[in-house]
Amino acid sequence: MTTPLLEARSITKSFQLGRTEIPVLRGVDLTIGRGETVALLGTSGAGKSTLLHLLGLLDRPNDGSISFDDQRVDDLSTKERARLRHRRIGFVFQFYHLIPELDALRNVQLGALMDVGLWEWLGNRGAIKARAAALLEEVGLTDRARHRPAELSGGERQRVAIARALIAEPELILADEPTGNLDSETAEGILDLLFRINRERGIAFLLVTHDPALARRCDRIVRMRDGRVVDDGLATTAPATEGAAPPA
Amino acid sequence: MYRLLLATRYLFSRPINLLGVLGIALGVWALIVVPSIFTGYLREVGKHLQSTTADATIRGLPGGVPIETLDELCGADPAVAGLAPRLLWQGLLHPAAPPSRSRPPARGLDELTSESPLVSLLGIDTTRELHFTGLGGWLRAAPAELQPKDLDDPLRPIDGEPAALLSPQRMARDGLRLGDRIAVTIGRLDREDGEEVFHLDEKPLHFRVAGAFESSFAAFDGLHVFVDLETLAARLGGDSSPNEVAVQMQHGVDTAQAAERLERILQAEYGRRVRVATWSEANRLQLGSIDHQRGLMKLVLFVIMVVAGFVVYATLSMMVTEKTRDIGILTAMGADVGGVATVFVACGAAVAVIGAVVGVVGGCLSAVYLDDFNTFLRRFDIDLFPVRVYNLRRVPYDLDPLWIAQVSGISVLVTVAVAAIPAWRAARQDPLDALRHE
Repeated sequence: MTTPLLEARSITKSFQLGRTEIPVLRGVDLTIGRGETVALLGTSGAGKSTLLHLLGLLDRPNDGSISFDDQRVDDLSTKERARLRHRRIGFVFQFYHLIPELDALRNVQLGALMDVGLWEWLGNRGAIKARAAALLEEVGLTDRARHRPAELSGGERQRVAIARALIAEPELILADEPTGNLDSETAEGILDLLFRINRERGIAFLLVTHDPALARRCDRIVRMRDGRVVDDGLATTAPATEGAAPPA
Repeated sequence: MYRLLLATRYLFSRPINLLGVLGIALGVWALIVVPSIFTGYLREVGKHLQSTTADATIRGLPGGVPIETLDELCGADPAVAGLAPRLLWQGLLHPAAPPSRSRPPARGLDELTSESPLVSLLGIDTTRELHFTGLGGWLRAAPAELQPKDLDDPLRPIDGEPAALLSPQRMARDGLRLGDRIAVTIGRLDREDGEEVFHLDEKPLHFRVAGAFESSFAAFDGLHVFVDLETLAARLGGDSSPNEVAVQMQHGVDTAQAAERLERILQAEYGRRVRVATWSEANRLQLGSIDHQRGLMKLVLFVIMVVAGFVVYATLSMMVTEKTRDIGILTAMGADVGGVATVFVACGAAVAVIGAVVGVVGGCLSAVYLDDFNTFLRRFDIDLFPVRVYNLRRVPYDLDPLWIAQVSGISVLVTVAVAAIPAWRAARQDPLDALRHE
């Protein structure tokens, strides 16, 4: 494995449902190296998305620790976690999650504006706009820059979401079933794009997926079941069986 | 920067926000127009009262005090420009002969005095009045054909008969022309067996119409008839000496302080019954009543502002609910609690500022052009500011920059405070719940 970028140790997480406590994660260990692509496989309810949200600092674990670049981050304040999320972590969601009122170019720019003040924006707006336009060109959407999300296809929206995730130049992108809402041909294009970005920019990816074929394209596959990591190995050694964990 | 970008996009992509803008604009508009008219009305009424009441009035003097003595006592104060003695008496006016000319229907200012024969006979010292009060200007303000022949001696007897000055409105109503005779029936209170009894004089006082006067206060004009002081005193007989003295102050002096000084001097000389009241004290009830109404109106109109605040609250609450998923997206991208809250507070602030600007511009324009609008409406027999009620020819207004600034500032503050509630709710959203929101 390359130098560790993100490390999760003994993560537990449970949710309260009325008076009942539902354990979702039961001591998860996971490490993602710099520039590494990791697929997180598992059936529904295995705890994949919960783990993704914890690693993305959108939620706090009940127990355990999360470190980013050798610095513990799960106990940071809300504001510090927001800053870290903006500067070093990108998100790509299954349902794209673009702002409907903004066109593609503005949606991408938005990713760069989170910690930019008005005066700084006035001084750098040309550069920010040019960077957003370049990213849209990189994802093949130059001619769709002025279209709003409602005027774009699913694949185009996901490309905009990827460009938005890239504009802050993160070191890690967390993708929650990024092709789960796309037809196979469009999904293939999106995956090609993600892996090209990984190769060219050295950005690490954690991809939550149900798709074993997608998982096999990653460097590593982590399988989860009932809130635990049941397998963590190189994708090249993974069995060809669909999605299930290998026999113990 | 994303706060401003999103706030503007959310604001302009949702027409329902116009409702908030309209609410604030309406509140600010009403809070500017109505008080500006009240303030203008108060100013105009004050001006009219001041012009017809004199700067100060001395009352309660014992009978028979020569005006020269008062000149000496009061003239010692540098604030006093001059004195004019007056004898005020009530009466019922009727033309000496039934009017042969047809009467026009009462309209506008005429309605004020249309059918009432009640008048106040004001006996004046013409020379002093012309010198110290506004009488000279009122004579020149009357229509040229109704002005007295001799403006320097307007109450000169006509063919040996005492003269009177009336308002053009009353002359028109009673079908009177220059030189016509009028009769005024007067009465007096006598004390009989320890009780006051009102006696009506059997013989009316007769005058000839010498001309018209016109102050800017129609109610004063309609109710007053100027006659010569000495003539009136002689006709009334007995101890009928001036019952009030008008005091003209020097320009720019503090009238209230000067009145207090005069009162002290006169009370030392003639006893505690003597009172010197400024024009505003003399009309305190009338002015106070208008001022009170203005205050109440402001209070009532602030309710509109509160309602507008609730409209903003409701629209922003709806917006927060609709934009729940956006809140999750923003949080995932690195927006903090303050940033999310600022997006929605900025929406509220923008609604407030736009509404306040529209309200201020609309309010100022409405106040300035309300009279033109009212003139237009009168064509359709609609009158927003009836002369018979308000006694003014034009709709008055007085735009107070401080009040406008207060109204705009408070409206923005109230709206931002109200907008902070849904904004805080937005900021407290769990980002994971927000991302899952459909």
